[in-house]
Amino acid sequence: MVQFLVKRFIGLIFVVIGVTFITFIMGYFAPGDPIREMLGNHVIPQVYNQLKHQYGLDLPWYQQYWNFLTHLARFDFGLSYHQQNYPVWNILSDGVPVSAELGFWALILQILVGVPLGIISALKANTWVDTVNMGTMLILYALPAFVLAIFVQLFIVWIDQQTGATWPVANWGNPWQYSLSDIQLKLAPILVFAATGTALYARLARTSMLEVLRQDYVRTARAKGLRERVVIYRHAFRNAMIPLITVFGFSLGLLVTGAFFIEQIFNIPGIAEITITSVNNRDYPVIQATVVLLAVAVVIGNLISDILYSVADPRIKAA
Amino acid sequence: MDTKDQNKDPGVMFPDSAVSPLFIEDTIATNEPGEVMTAPGTATTITATQLEKAKKSPTPFQESLRRLRRDKRAMVSLGILVLFVLIPIFGPLIYQHIGGTYQSTLNGPIGPDVYHSPFHQELDRQDELFSGQYWLGTDSLGRDLLARLMQGMLISLVVAILVEIVDITLGITIGVLAGFYGGWIDQLLARFTDIMFAFPGLLFAILLTGIFGTEADTVFSNIPIIGPNGNARLILVSLALALTTWPLMARYVRGQTLQLKEQQFIEAARTSGTTDVRIILRHIIPNLFSIVIVAATLNMSNTIIGEAGLSLLGLGVQAPGSSIGVMISDATSNISTHPWEVLLPSLTLTLIVLAFSFLGDGLRDAFDPRSKD
Repeated sequence: MVQFLVKRFIGLIFVVIGVTFITFIMGYFAPGDPIREMLGNHVIPQVYNQLKHQYGLDLPWYQQYWNFLTHLARFDFGLSYHQQNYPVWNILSDGVPVSAELGFWALILQILVGVPLGIISALKANTWVDTVNMGTMLILYALPAFVLAIFVQLFIVWIDQQTGATWPVANWGNPWQYSLSDIQLKLAPILVFAATGTALYARLARTSMLEVLRQDYVRTARAKGLRERVVIYRHAFRNAMIPLITVFGFSLGLLVTGAFFIEQIFNIPGIAEITITSVNNRDYPVIQATVVLLAVAVVIGNLISDILYSVADPRIKAA
Repeated sequence: MDTKDQNKDPGVMFPDSAVSPLFIEDTIATNEPGEVMTAPGTATTITATQLEKAKKSPTPFQESLRRLRRDKRAMVSLGILVLFVLIPIFGPLIYQHIGGTYQSTLNGPIGPDVYHSPFHQELDRQDELFSGQYWLGTDSLGRDLLARLMQGMLISLVVAILVEIVDITLGITIGVLAGFYGGWIDQLLARFTDIMFAFPGLLFAILLTGIFGTEADTVFSNIPIIGPNGNARLILVSLALALTTWPLMARYVRGQTLQLKEQQFIEAARTSGTTDVRIILRHIIPNLFSIVIVAATLNMSNTIIGEAGLSLLGLGVQAPGSSIGVMISDATSNISTHPWEVLLPSLTLTLIVLAFSFLGDGLRDAFDPRSKD
C-alpha cells in the first residue's frame, strides 16, 4: 500500500511539474511585451525597468519558472498584467465560491441521480425502461454541455411565453444562499452542468451492475434463498460501485470543461467566465492561474479516486 | 495506471492492450454460423456456384462491413454524415445562384451571390423568419442564416479533417514505435500522455488559443483561403485540438501493436528474415485499420464540439466569419425574442455529434463483435 502511494505520489509530482511548465512556457512565449502594453505610449525607461523587475520578467526563464512554481505553492498566482500591481488571486477570488458552488451541486447531483438510474436500468435490462433510460443517457452524454444549456434556455423561454411566468433564463444568485429567487436562478445551470456526468455515471453503473449480477456469488446468494432485495443491495450493489470510484477524476474533468460553457451561456460570474474575460484583456497570468488550478484539481481528483479504489479493491495493489 | 485509463473515455471502453480484443480473427469468422459454412448434410445438393461461394468465404473485413450495413442506427448516421460533407461543399455553390436580383435599400441592386453570402449584412432585414429570399431567415445583422450555417458546417468539417490527419499520423507513428520497440520512446509517450491527460477536455486548447489567439490572427491572416473572414485562428484551434487528441490515439495503437507483436504471423515473418520496417508497414499498420477508424470516428465528434465550443467562447472563428459556435454565441443574447436563430445551429450540431457517436458505436460493434454486453 505504501509503495503504491509513493509511486502514485511521484507520478503526481511529475504531472504537476509538466502541467505547470507547459502553462508557464506559454505565458513566457506569449506575444507582446506586457510591461510596454501596461505603460502605453509614454515609456520612461526607469519606470519600465522597475516594473519589469517587480514582475520578475527581467530574470532568465528558469528563474522565472522557479518563482512561478514557488509562488504557486503559496497560492500566489502573481500580478495581473491588465490591472497594474493587482494580484491575480484578487481577480479570481470573487469567482471561486461561485464555481465551487456550481461544481459541488453538480458533483452531488450526478452521483445521486446517475447511479440509481444506472442500477434501475441494469435491473430492468432490455425492457423498455432500460431502452428509454439508456437512450436518454447516451444523448445526454454525447451532446456538449453548451448545446444542452441552449436547449434548456429555449425550454425556459417557451415556458415563460406559454404561462406568462418570469423564470429567469440566465444569471446567478447570491453564492451559497437559497432563497426562492436564488433557486430559480441556479436550478437550470446546475441541472445542465450535472447532465453529462449523470449520463456517465448511469452508463457505467449499468455496465458494472450487469457484470456483477452475472457473478457466481450473486447466484450463490440467490440459490441460498436470500430475498432479491438483500441480494441486490447487500451483495451486488456494493461490488458494482467499486469501478465507479475510478471515474471520479474523469467526471471532475468533464465539469472543468463544462464550467467554461455553462458560465458563459448562463452568465455566471465564476472563474471560467473571469478567465474568458481575461483573454480579451490579454491578462495571461489569470489564464495561467485558472488552468493550473483546474488541472491540478483534476490530477488530485484522479489520485484520490485511485487511492480509494485501491482501498475498496485490494487486488489492485498488486498491479 | 491501467485502471485509470479504462475510464478516460467510456465511449471506447478498455483501450489498452490487455482488454482490447480486436482481431482475434477466428471468433469473427465463425461468429455467425450458417452464413459462412454449409450444413454438412446437404453436400449432395451443392451446385457449382454454391461451391464457389463457399470457397470465397468473406474476409473478416467484409464480415464487419456486412454487420455494419445491418446496423440501422449506424447507417442512418452515415447518411446524415454524407449530407454533412456534401451540403457545405456544394450547397453554397448552388444557393448563391438561386434567386433574382434584390433591390436593397441600403446596397442597391444585388444578386443572390451577394445576399446569399454568409458575410453579407442587409441591415434592414434583421431577424427574419423563412422566406423565398432567405430560406432559413436572417440573423440580428441581416445575414442569411442558411449561408452562415453552411459556412459553419464547412468550418467544422475542415477542422475535423485537419485534426484527424494530425491525430492519425502522429498516433500511428508514435504508437507503433512505442508498441513495437518499447524502451525510451514508450516511456516518453507514457509521460507525455500523462501530462496531456491532466489538462481535462478543452483546457489546453483554451490556454493555447487564449494566449496565442490574437497573434495567430495577425500571422495567419495573410494566407489565402484560410486567412480571411476571421478564420485565421482555426489553424491554432486545429493544432490545439490535435495536440490533445493524438496521445489517446497513440495509446490505442500502442496497445494493439503490443498484441499484434505476439501473434504468430509476425513471428513467422520475423523468422523468415523480414526486416522490422517491412513488418511494421506490411503486417502491423494494415491491422490497425479498424481500431484507428473507430477511434477517429468517435474523436471527430469531440473535435467538432471542441471547435464549436472554442468559437462560442470567442477563441475560435472571429467576426465576420461563421461557425456553428459563433452562430450560437451571436444568437444567445436574443434567445427570448428570436429563439429560432439559436435553435438552428444547436440542432445542426446535435445531429452531427449524435451521428458521429452512433456511427462510431456501430463501427466498434461491427469490427469488434465481442465488445457488446
